[in-house]
Amino acid sequence: MQIFDVLVIGSGGAGMRAALEAGTRGGLSVGLMTKMFPTRSATGMAQGGINGVLGNADPTDTVAKHIFDTVKGSDYLGDQDAIAFFCGQAAAAIREIDYYGVPFSRDAKGQIAQRNFGGQSAPRTCFSADKTGHVILHTMYEQCLKHGVKMLTDRQLLDLAVDGDGLCGVVALDIRTGRVVPVKAKAVVVATGGAGRMYWSRTTNPFTSTADGMAACFRAGIPLKDPEMVQFHPTGLAGTGILMSEASRAEGGYLYNNAGERFMVRYAPEKMELATRDLVSQAIETEIREGRGFGEGMNAYVLLDLRHLGREKILERLPGIRDLAITFEQVDPIEAPIPIRPSCHYTMGGVDVTDFRTGGTALAGLFAAGEAACVSIHGANRLGGNSLADIMVFGKCAGVGAADYAEAQGREAGGGALETKAAEWEARLAAAMARGGGSSVASIRDRLAEAMWNKVGIFRRGAEMAEAAAIVDGLTAEYERCAVGDDSRVFNTALVNYVELGNLLTMAKAVVLGAVNRTESRGCHLREDYPARDDVNFLKHTLVTLTGSQYELSYRPVVVTEHQPAERRY
Amino acid sequence: MEQVVYRIRRFDGEKEFWQEYSFAHEPNKTVLWGLLKIKETADPSLSFVAACRSAVCGACAVRVNGEAVLACETPLDALLGRFGATLVLEPLGNFPVIRDLVVDWEPKAVRLAEAKPWLMPREEFSAEAGCRQTQAEFKMINAQTNCILCGSCASECNKLSMGDDDFYEPFVYTKAGKFVADSRDGLAAEHLRPVLERGLWKCVHCQECVAKCPKRVAPAEDIAALRRESIRQGLTDNQGARHALAFAGDITNTGRLNETTMAVKTDGLLKSATRLPFALRLLRRGKLNPFHFPAPVEGIDGVRAIVKAAKEAKE
Ligand SMILES: Cc1cc2nc3c(=O)[nH]c(=O)nc-3n(C[C@H](O)[C@H](O)[C@H](O)COP(=O)(O)OP(=O)(O)OC[C@H]3O[C@@H](n4cnc5c(N)ncnc54)[C@H](O)[C@@H]3O)c2cc1C
Ligand code: SF4
Ligand code: SF4
Ligand code: FES
Repeated sequence: MQIFDVLVIGSGGAGMRAALEAGTRGGLSVGLMTKMFPTRSATGMAQGGINGVLGNADPTDTVAKHIFDTVKGSDYLGDQDAIAFFCGQAAAAIREIDYYGVPFSRDAKGQIAQRNFGGQSAPRTCFSADKTGHVILHTMYEQCLKHGVKMLTDRQLLDLAVDGDGLCGVVALDIRTGRVVPVKAKAVVVATGGAGRMYWSRTTNPFTSTADGMAACFRAGIPLKDPEMVQFHPTGLAGTGILMSEASRAEGGYLYNNAGERFMVRYAPEKMELATRDLVSQAIETEIREGRGFGEGMNAYVLLDLRHLGREKILERLPGIRDLAITFEQVDPIEAPIPIRPSCHYTMGGVDVTDFRTGGTALAGLFAAGEAACVSIHGANRLGGNSLADIMVFGKCAGVGAADYAEAQGREAGGGALETKAAEWEARLAAAMARGGGSSVASIRDRLAEAMWNKVGIFRRGAEMAEAAAIVDGLTAEYERCAVGDDSRVFNTALVNYVELGNLLTMAKAVVLGAVNRTESRGCHLREDYPARDDVNFLKHTLVTLTGSQYELSYRPVVVTEHQPAERRY
Repeated sequence: MEQVVYRIRRFDGEKEFWQEYSFAHEPNKTVLWGLLKIKETADPSLSFVAACRSAVCGACAVRVNGEAVLACETPLDALLGRFGATLVLEPLGNFPVIRDLVVDWEPKAVRLAEAKPWLMPREEFSAEAGCRQTQAEFKMINAQTNCILCGSCASECNKLSMGDDDFYEPFVYTKAGKFVADSRDGLAAEHLRPVLERGLWKCVHCQECVAKCPKRVAPAEDIAALRRESIRQGLTDNQGARHALAFAGDITNTGRLNETTMAVKTDGLLKSATRLPFALRLLRRGKLNPFHFPAPVEGIDGVRAIVKAAKEAKE
């Protein structure tokens, strides 16, 4: 059995930053488990940038402003103590990764260049052309190579193993051999990314964003916090959901409806296209619903026009966006506007972190970071550029937290719970592979996505969500009998997809439960039947906990320090 | 065209076999779409990997009709137009295959690490204050940072196909070259040494890596830049540099390259005899004529002037 002091799950920015921190400490054995080669993570897809108050583009920018922007952006659901901590650390985290080798675009003084991004009162988003996440991910990978971090590639986390004394480690599917393997660890950091694939083809996320870590923690008794808070990005390509970065609006792109009107003037007259994502997404959907979009039904869209920026600026600042539009939508933005519509982009909710300084959770030894976690600094709506900052700041914190914990922990966990869990999974997977008949994984997944998009998407209503809940339950029952369709032990990706679908169903059920019961509108959670924000009853976090087979609902007050909730206007 | 056929080289961990799948054509789709279609509607056991489906994660590279491409960004219609209704899909070349179209990156990661692909920041910088770099200096490394580690270049590299003992995957040179070119890095020699020891001067200039890279990275150019830098740093005590200096000598003397004397100058007489098979191969391809001793080209003085100017510029 493999044994580590610290085991990090997930090799996105958060996981690699954590592994690096624990791995450079010395004296600790650190493993980094990932279900795909490390550089295939969602982090690499981030184009726009990373936020921190460096004051390079605007010397009057302050941490206090970053805090306020984040609190306001979160629609007051973010915890203000955690947000203050986060904003206080972001600049240092950015300078540090500059030193690690992240190639940033520069200003005239040779400092890191910064630009405007949605929902912010100063230009504080640092970037590397339009591939910021890619260069951060690769730099983290380079540093992991440098420090010889032990990579467990092609291994999919299945479950945490916990016995009477606490956390023992995890069990994982070794995708190469098709065997379930127990891995013993004193401390575990879950950094498995988001859950956007609940909406399958209506998401900007990669195929791997399937809530695996969230669901595993949930099954181990850790609550999911604010699962209903799902962000939709306003500018996904109409045909595929692929993201046109916020940079396209930040650099000055315009949105037009079918009447040739820059419709944002009616929703956010000051900020216009630079208003927060939730407002812009809702504006676009409203335009489409009220007949001012192009196309019909699921294929409707509005236009994102970059042409007035000119060829040179598009080539210099937005080359990746141009490539994507040409390749996946057959449109060259230098010559024509791009058909776009919203796409599920980010999971604000996630594993309930109770100590933001360490990423600690209710289970001693279990830490969570990045999109898999809910700290919560993003509350009901994440600001563009705050997630990359989040994974660098809190990835490091979780690495420190886990390393400290492992050092202090003398106990060598017993392997009993691990062996039992592994045997359980081995049996379950063998049965699933042997099973014939039943629905296919893809058919259940597509029906889940359709129900989530239509009934628990950008606009939400109690009655429709009740239907969605019933559909999710039905699909879960079907899932128990579904066919994997491949019984090979060698790199069985059908089996991986089967496990992922189980996790998506688990997460979706929590999303619907949280959403049905939050009878108010806040940030990304837009209830048509409860259009107003309700601070009296809902200035609190949703917690969904698994008790037996029941999803139980409870709440925890939001931490409010400086900023009393006020109406959010842009 | 109504039906598309994918003829796929499969491998189940033990044996290799070919299998054909056909499915209904739809316009404006990608190679990856076809693979997903097969997996979801015909054969769940067909194995391949993909994550971002937008050409940034590097997971999905496969060989289609003998050329490495990213499945997720490659338009099906363009290929069908070129090759007809049947496409042949294979895993990347020069990689161990795990199953079907899935290849093993683990040994590649080990080799990549040998080239020390990480920033060794200059002394004036610190983790607390970060670094300084001009936008012009940033642009010197911007192209290399586009590499997504997809492996397409390695798949098609002619030198690597002859064996990987004395040559790295082209992207390894790109990574090393990125740090040598990075103004924040203070230890260029550290990045140079490993690639010098393995293959820097052995690239056969076929340009396949440049042609096949989906992200407009140019490993062959990075190799050229690394060579220039190694000579500038006086790292000339190796076969490749001697070769290059001989090359420069030939050009200065005659304005032409004398392939025969060059082999002798760089390898010594004995070694160059052992290279005969390679020379014969080149001969067959019309790339080398051992009986041709070139006469000075017209305007040789001009050539000499250029070489001299280039030398002076470097000194
Ligand atoms: C297209 C796009 C653009 C974005 N642009 C920006 C931006 O400009 N600015 C910004 O701040 N944010 C942006 N974001 C958001 C940001 O990129 C992500 O939220 C962030 O990178 C998440 O990082 P992470 O490390 O938490 O997770 P990820 O990068 O998603 O990594 C998760 C890792 O976990 C692994 N994993 C998952 N399940 C398992 C399992 N069961 N077992 C083992 N390993 C597993 C995955 O393989 C992966 O390595 C963008 C997101 C997308 C999708
Ligand atoms: S140019 Fe050199 S590195 Fe590139 S493919 Fe040819 S031999 Fe390989
Ligand atoms: S250099 Fe190009 S082809 Fe080679 S791995 Fe990098 S992105 Fe792929
Ligand atoms: S799936 Fe990521 S590059 Fe193709």
